[in-house]
Amino acid sequence: MNVNRLRNLLRARPTLFSVRWNNSENKLAIYDPFYAKPKKTKETYLEVIKKFEDQDTRRRGHVEFIYAALRRMKEFGVQKDLEVYKALVDVLPKGKFIPTNIFQSEFMHYPKQQQCAVDLLDQMEDNGVMPDTEMEQMLLNVFGRRGIPLRKYWRMMYWMPKFKNLSPWHLPDQLPGDTLELARLAIQRITSVDPDTRVDTWQTEEIEASLDKTWIVSAQSRTQQVLLSEQPLDEPLVIKGPFNVYLRDQVVTYFILLGKIRPEYKDESDTDDVSNIPRPPGIPGVIGKVTLPQVKSTTHEQDDGTIVAVCATGTSSRDSLLSWIRLLEKNNNPLLSSIPVIFTLVAPSSDVSLFETQPATQNEKNES
Amino acid sequence: MNVARKIFNIPYQNIRNNVYRNFKITASNCNSSTTTEPQVQEEKFDFEDLKVLERVERRKAKIPPFMKDVFVSIYNRDLLAYPEVLNKEESAALEARVAALEKVFLDPKKSADDRKNALLRTGMYSAPLNLTDNGLAMNYTESLRYLDVIATDLKLGQTISDHWVGLNVIKQGLSSDDYRKLIGDMTSGDLTINLCIREKIAERLLQADFSTSATMDSRGIWHITGEKICHDSSGFLLVLCLVDGNRFKTLLVHPNAQGVSQSGPFVTFHQTPATPLDEITEVALSQAFGTSRLYTATLARSRLLGSLNACMDYLRPRFFSGKPLMEIPTIRATVGDTLLKIYASESVDYFTAGLLDGYLEPDADLEIAMCRNFIVQHAQSQLLQLLAIPGVEKQAECLRLLEDMRSLAMRGETVESVNMHIALNGIHHAGKEMANEVRQIRNPLFNPSFIIKKMIQDRHQEKDEPKLTLYLAEHLHPTLKKPSEQLEYCVLRMRYTCETLMSRHGTDVVNAHTELRRLAEAATEILTMTAVLGRASRSYCIGVRNAEIEMKLASVFVESTKDRVKKLLLEANEGEYLNLDYFRLEFGQKVLEANSVLVEKPTARVFW
Repeated sequence: MNVNRLRNLLRARPTLFSVRWNNSENKLAIYDPFYAKPKKTKETYLEVIKKFEDQDTRRRGHVEFIYAALRRMKEFGVQKDLEVYKALVDVLPKGKFIPTNIFQSEFMHYPKQQQCAVDLLDQMEDNGVMPDTEMEQMLLNVFGRRGIPLRKYWRMMYWMPKFKNLSPWHLPDQLPGDTLELARLAIQRITSVDPDTRVDTWQTEEIEASLDKTWIVSAQSRTQQVLLSEQPLDEPLVIKGPFNVYLRDQVVTYFILLGKIRPEYKDESDTDDVSNIPRPPGIPGVIGKVTLPQVKSTTHEQDDGTIVAVCATGTSSRDSLLSWIRLLEKNNNPLLSSIPVIFTLVAPSSDVSLFETQPATQNEKNES
Repeated sequence: MNVARKIFNIPYQNIRNNVYRNFKITASNCNSSTTTEPQVQEEKFDFEDLKVLERVERRKAKIPPFMKDVFVSIYNRDLLAYPEVLNKEESAALEARVAALEKVFLDPKKSADDRKNALLRTGMYSAPLNLTDNGLAMNYTESLRYLDVIATDLKLGQTISDHWVGLNVIKQGLSSDDYRKLIGDMTSGDLTINLCIREKIAERLLQADFSTSATMDSRGIWHITGEKICHDSSGFLLVLCLVDGNRFKTLLVHPNAQGVSQSGPFVTFHQTPATPLDEITEVALSQAFGTSRLYTATLARSRLLGSLNACMDYLRPRFFSGKPLMEIPTIRATVGDTLLKIYASESVDYFTAGLLDGYLEPDADLEIAMCRNFIVQHAQSQLLQLLAIPGVEKQAECLRLLEDMRSLAMRGETVESVNMHIALNGIHHAGKEMANEVRQIRNPLFNPSFIIKKMIQDRHQEKDEPKLTLYLAEHLHPTLKKPSEQLEYCVLRMRYTCETLMSRHGTDVVNAHTELRRLAEAATEILTMTAVLGRASRSYCIGVRNAEIEMKLASVFVESTKDRVKKLLLEANEGEYLNLDYFRLEFGQKVLEANSVLVEKPTARVFW
């Protein structure tokens, strides 16, 4: 009899919890005060929160208000702002939700409110916003040490700092709004494989025949210049692209200039046979080799070709790429004047012109 | 702990050693070959003028290369008898000339011109030439003794040592008619011979490491084009060039030849006409040029000695807390350490010179390179400790001494490239000896019985306790038994280390630079220990003044060096993960690739 009762109780527990969890229905908001705001900025967002805090000392409907506020964040462009999240946590009343006995803390005291705070922290995590220790204090004041939001907070503070700087291509906290700066960041990161690479910003105005008046971010190292200068005249160079590179949620389109491939280094000698290990000539001061092997040896030489330059242009148009080739020719690559260049662009040029600049639109007018 | 030691201390524990020594030292392993070895005498006569007798060289029969054999743990014990090359008359003539040089060179009042005149008077500019060519037929032992004195003036020391090397190359390279025509100009002292071998590191991807080339025009005249590192292009220049794209040839550029221009330490040749040295082979060329390393070692040692003297001048009149400054133990230790290094370097230099002078067809290329690296490596760190004593009080002099040592360390080549030369030559020799064994080790499943045999054979080596089977103590003074056993241990570990390296990497061992560097350093220390032990033992046995200090120096040197060698060889054996090379290389690679030091400042925060 008792066993049966216990079994029933155990069977009932998950339902009990799922009901409690599902209770935190966040889809419904009775009145959305954010909707009415004509100007969507951080100031107006905080203003609405402040107004809500002041209008009622009991702060009725604060859970619904927080859910509404969380949904509206992107509209106001504040989804990455820690200060705003803290202001929202501050809406919750202090002290009331702290469990005072073992049962309260075990059976999820004020589940809806706790779930709301967890959802808020979830949204922070999704947006990559790391809470700070002040937030911990605020949550402690609201939910106490045993609260679920605190556990969520601690887990976040364990993992998020570890992931924050894990990318080998470090980006500034705030990405620049300017597309040129963004392209520079992207190209710098792509070409970081060779520390000797020089990243230049050129204007297509320098080339008189250019139609597209825009900027070009071009990167080439001295090694690449040498590899380019070794290109046989009858073997054309190839421009490949557009390729995408993501800087967080921003995308930059770039192109590469491919050259000839040198043969793979092949060593047929028997590594087990140590009877004649090569030794240097004994003359003091004579080191290294007197002849160089003509085989693949640099990082720029990949399977599909030797990457001799990388660029991103303002319009990603065919004409701007032509200007890039001419500009490369002017900047220490004289051989480009006599080598044919093939454009193998995957998409038509008009579709990939992501970043229109003013001179470019003028050109379009001219073309039309 | 101490109580336990007191209780369990075994009394008379030396008794076993004594018994061992008494029975073993006189054992049948002792076979002195020097007494039975034939002495080959070479007498050279100039038949045009029979009145002039050329110098008699007393060389012993050819021996296998000493240090190359040490790489496979074969040790020529006869060499522990320190070489004595000069006889009574030669020694007396040498001392007379050295005294004449010392009179001028050790006198601070004499000017540079006086010193140069002294060199001319004593015939130093023509010293390596035959007696029939108005030279002194100087051998390497004598040249080191002269250079010891001359090196007090570093500039003159560098000039004269390069001149000697150049004369030796020209002597072998030119035909006798050309040689006689030029020899007068070369030995006048006004125009010395400078060496142009080293080149700048390539600045372009597709530029070979060595690019100076020589071509012959239609009239049969050779022209040189290229750039070399050389500080003085005023005299004769010996230029190493590439011919036909892959062959080395040395050419002699006469003073004021056209197309030579100097800018800083670089000399540029543009279609410069030159006389080719056709008679000398590439092997002889590398041997002749290689001796410049021996002279670099002497110059570096002399600089260290100069620094020691400067330090002593500073120390003598100064006091600290009412006591003479030289009573401070740390200062005494530093000075004592410097003496150890100087003693070791001197021993190994003269030992190597003895190998070059005392045997027919000597193959001491490796030994010469080791002499250079030993002193250059140790002198630099020792100099920094030594010059910390005067501190900022003798700023100008300290800076000059440091700069001298730095330039000597870079003279002609870097320490690293010499280390690679030593290690690769050693491993080449070892590879020839052990090729079959290494192949079997690298293919264990094809040779199971060999592998088991090898495991049993190497069981002592695995435990780092090789059985001492060389009995080196029998060739030294009995007091040096313990140090000789330590040397023996080091020698016996070499073969095992070479075997490990080759079986780990196969022919790719040439790219395991960090491990090869350790091997080269260990071999260098082994040669030095040999020389030090041999010299101390000889001095003590024949009763040289202060020989007991030499014995102590030798014991202390071997004792302290053995630990270093043990560590170096153990690290080479362990491989890149255990000796942490893998990580060091990774850090270096990351820093070079990122162009920054990577790590954030300690004040950096991730969250607040």
